[in-house]
Amino acid sequence: MAARPDDERSGRRVILRRDHIAGGVFVAAGLLVLAMSGDLPFGTLASPGAGMMPKLLLGLMIAFGAIIVARASEGPPLAEIPWNDFTHAATVVAAAAVAIALYTKIGFVLSVTLLLFVLLYFIERRALWRALAVSVGVTVGSYLLFSTLLKSPLPPMPLWY
Amino acid sequence: MEATIDSLLLGFSVAFRPDVLLYAFLGCVVGTLVGMLPGIGPLAGISILLPVTFGLDATKAIIMLAGIYYGSQYGGSTTSILMRIPGEAASVMTCIDGYAMAQKGRAGAALCIAAVGSFIAGTFGVIALTVIAPPLGAFALRFGPPEYAALLVVGLIFLAYMSSTSLSRTLLMAAFGLLLGCIGIDVMTGHFRYAFDIPDLGDGIGIVPVAVGLFGLGEILSTPSRNITAKVTAPRFAELLPTRREWRESAMPIARGTVLGFIVGIVPGSAHIISSFLSYALEKRISKHPEEFGKGAVAGVAGPESANNAASTGAFVPMLALGLPTGPVTAVLMAALLIHGVPPGPQLVTEHPQVFWGFIASMYVGNLMLLALNLPLVGMFVNVLRIPYAYLYPLIIMFCIIGVYEVNHSIIDVWIMLAMGVVGYLLRKFDFDPAPLVLGLVIAPTFEMSLRQSLIMSNGAWTIFFERPISAGLMVVSAGLLVLSAVSFLMKRKDWRDKLAQAEASEPR
Repeated sequence: MAARPDDERSGRRVILRRDHIAGGVFVAAGLLVLAMSGDLPFGTLASPGAGMMPKLLLGLMIAFGAIIVARASEGPPLAEIPWNDFTHAATVVAAAAVAIALYTKIGFVLSVTLLLFVLLYFIERRALWRALAVSVGVTVGSYLLFSTLLKSPLPPMPLWY
Repeated sequence: MEATIDSLLLGFSVAFRPDVLLYAFLGCVVGTLVGMLPGIGPLAGISILLPVTFGLDATKAIIMLAGIYYGSQYGGSTTSILMRIPGEAASVMTCIDGYAMAQKGRAGAALCIAAVGSFIAGTFGVIALTVIAPPLGAFALRFGPPEYAALLVVGLIFLAYMSSTSLSRTLLMAAFGLLLGCIGIDVMTGHFRYAFDIPDLGDGIGIVPVAVGLFGLGEILSTPSRNITAKVTAPRFAELLPTRREWRESAMPIARGTVLGFIVGIVPGSAHIISSFLSYALEKRISKHPEEFGKGAVAGVAGPESANNAASTGAFVPMLALGLPTGPVTAVLMAALLIHGVPPGPQLVTEHPQVFWGFIASMYVGNLMLLALNLPLVGMFVNVLRIPYAYLYPLIIMFCIIGVYEVNHSIIDVWIMLAMGVVGYLLRKFDFDPAPLVLGLVIAPTFEMSLRQSLIMSNGAWTIFFERPISAGLMVVSAGLLVLSAVSFLMKRKDWRDKLAQAEASEPR
């Protein structure tokens, strides 16, 4: 919750609501991208340029974002959004990001085995041997499936070049 | 009519080829699994498996991917009835009475009614598709750029009007999707737009990374594993047969759900979800015993399950005949056809009859396969639900990465998928529906091209959209929908869309 001094003096409390943020983010993002679109020519209606469509859409995005902010009082307070799954989501994203960063560098087998092992052993707290067996088995099985049966090879380990 | 029958026979000659049958069967099996498993819906399933179809021809690819879509409508009912968890969004309404029937020891009967209702609805939908799509496609040959631009505007506004979130939220998502679709080289002028000197972005943002990120990874991030329980009992084969009274009570709801679902399916929007809700509301409204709803009413299972299957088939009508995706699933299926060099739309029937009629014929066969899969083999499929979610979601993440990477062998696409996963997670937190975003992304190139061509044709006069009869009619429909939404907003009236939003929010995920 956030309150402005003027409102506190007048005895009113302004509650920061979900839609203040939801709409506000799109208004801000729209303005930012619009500022970055200076090099895209709008053209004329008879000869539309590369910037016409994006700029019209940015205008719409800003307008709809502003409508959502204007109607924010109908939505729930920001504090009511449940974030109990945030830690889990953040750790999954972090683990996936590391695996993606390594994907083409150390190959599919190593990077994805590492990803599955981290998710199963460290995040889901499964038994060490079971986590290891599932990670290695599933990764190697998938690698063979894609490279042999589906003829769609996945990134190999550097040593395999 | 004779020509239609001849064409359908050509389709069956394609659909009955052993290799095509195999891919239809694979699609149905995967679709059933995707529908059953909470956390992955048909969109994520189709997107993840899209790259697997690259080695296939267009007919087999679309038959397999469509099998996943309508197969998921069958599979979704199993989890809803046995666990009270909607395997996919369209099964939300089945949870209510399906699970109540299971609590009374009638799980087998509920599964059987759901499967038979789905079969009847699916088959009716395919027959209607066979009859409607070719003439509609022939009519659409009269469309020029203004008509296409107007048609896409109607599609987006219809989607916004039908959405259970607010009009402004849906249109904001659609605008965001259209904007993402502008990234890359402008085909008319050669300008690079928002590519930030990244060569991979020159061709634009792909549909697959966005769809897999929003609906595959985004769903996983929103589903903490500890919340998923897997207490499930499979009904025995002997328990699957409903009583004579249950058959009688389900007959009319199946018929009504089938017709209602097909009509709703043609309209842009998340048709299969909306149709099941509308069918449930209709059955409750006309029932002589509305008090039984929520306590195991047979009509509460038969109607919605038939409606969502008919709707998923109805959604193929505008996709195949007009090249207009009515929702994110048909958008990804359209993308699959485009990747295989087969543009959906009015020319599909004439230029690629084998694909069009083979696809339609395969749906007749697919519905039979699904009936066989979902009744006698339900006990086997239920075992999949016993896999702890803690093991399942890491595998889904792995398939998301493989699926996205394999499309272009681009690691940038995989980063986009991850970013979209985070965006999808945040959008859900702030009550945005990501479906219009995907739809916007898919139609962006066609929409921009049609709009700019229309303006060039008319020397910059916006009135071109009102001067030609078809586009004028479509613009009037758009205006009408906007007025209806405005009236609903000004009157502060709660209609079926608010009730749908409440129903979706109240069910466990």
